[in-house]
Amino acid sequence: MSIQEQYRKKAAELLSSGEVKLVIGYGAGTTPDRRRPLFVRSADETSKLHLDAACEANLSGYLVTEGLLADRKKVGIFLGPEGIRSVNILASESQLDPDQIVIMGFNREAESVSALEGSNVRDFPAMLAALKEQAPGAGEQALVERIENMTPEERFTFWQAEFEKCIKCYACRQVCPMCYCRRCIVDNNQPQWVQTSSHTLGNFEWNLVRAFHLSGRCVECGGCDRACPVNIPLRLINRRMAMEVLDAYDHFSGMSPDQETVLASFKKDDPETFIL
Amino acid sequence: MNEQFEPKIVAFVCTYCTYAGADLAGTSRLKYPPNVRIVRLPCTGRISPMFILKALQKGADGVLVSGCHPGDCHFTSGNFHARRRWTVFRALLNFTGIPLDRIRFSWISAAEGVKFAELISSLTDDIRKLGPFEQYKAMIHETETPVSL
Repeated sequence: MSIQEQYRKKAAELLSSGEVKLVIGYGAGTTPDRRRPLFVRSADETSKLHLDAACEANLSGYLVTEGLLADRKKVGIFLGPEGIRSVNILASESQLDPDQIVIMGFNREAESVSALEGSNVRDFPAMLAALKEQAPGAGEQALVERIENMTPEERFTFWQAEFEKCIKCYACRQVCPMCYCRRCIVDNNQPQWVQTSSHTLGNFEWNLVRAFHLSGRCVECGGCDRACPVNIPLRLINRRMAMEVLDAYDHFSGMSPDQETVLASFKKDDPETFIL
Repeated sequence: MNEQFEPKIVAFVCTYCTYAGADLAGTSRLKYPPNVRIVRLPCTGRISPMFILKALQKGADGVLVSGCHPGDCHFTSGNFHARRRWTVFRALLNFTGIPLDRIRFSWISAAEGVKFAELISSLTDDIRKLGPFEQYKAMIHETETPVSL
């Protein structure tokens, strides 16, 4: 039985037994190679669920929809490794109760998907530990290093050219499971921290703030990068920040629901090479 | 015209240590360049990275962030939290091409008036050598003109 059939059946069982009130999964998209989020509330709809290599979106962001988990009922969700990490972070930031989430985990390879054993977010420590070891995003590593080797002027010019394209549609924020603030800092106008016009300065500031707020929280699901309508390589910044917290604090985000958030914790002997 | 470039430097300092240190530098009649504008805050933990961006947005050529030595925080742990934030934010600034010579971090206690005066002098000299932050100024200038369609 393919994993798609297996999870369709599992979703139907969960829904008909009343264990979960909703299953968040993938449905057919506008073209055969695309998938869109699908919200299934009854067992007979589960035949619409898809699961294959085209399912790249991280669905965990839907879990923090306002009021969804307020009735203490459970929700089933299709999650890849990044999604599982996102749920861990959301739980560690007290945004959800991890025991309300029934995970149908899958691992995406080039052409196929395989099932991940477990249904609670605490069931995947070995998979996450292995993930930390193999350091995801290795494909970006070479590009990040190329940017690191530039002079500051060249780097500035490079990012200026990228951010110049930004139209501040905030798709990167909208798609990100970590961007759940009710009021984002860019929507604040008292004081106006980030310039809202589409000049490069405000774009620069917005992208810096976004990257900073995701430091040590981003799981590199690549959602922002795919969502960006002008193809700003946001994954490179996210990769660089993930490298930083890993090097400085041995922090790999989303390891467990009890993990301390890196910028809200400290050690007395944290490295401080640059402070005079 | 052979006027020397006078950089604008914004210093975000905590009131218990570095501000008291600056005060000591003053009462001890130590000389340091007038290029620094000091912004006093309750704790380094209060210094949001947004402050640094805002200073640059308003045309600063350099930024100094300074507070109590680790372990000396009036609020016991504000500077430990700040230190993590600075480490990460500094890496981000570096990666996006903002020269790290322009953004400095230091610990200055209330007794270190001499250190404060010396740091401001060396920082001003360094930034004077770097010259105005032209790349950022060009972006600021752009915001003053209408967007081209």
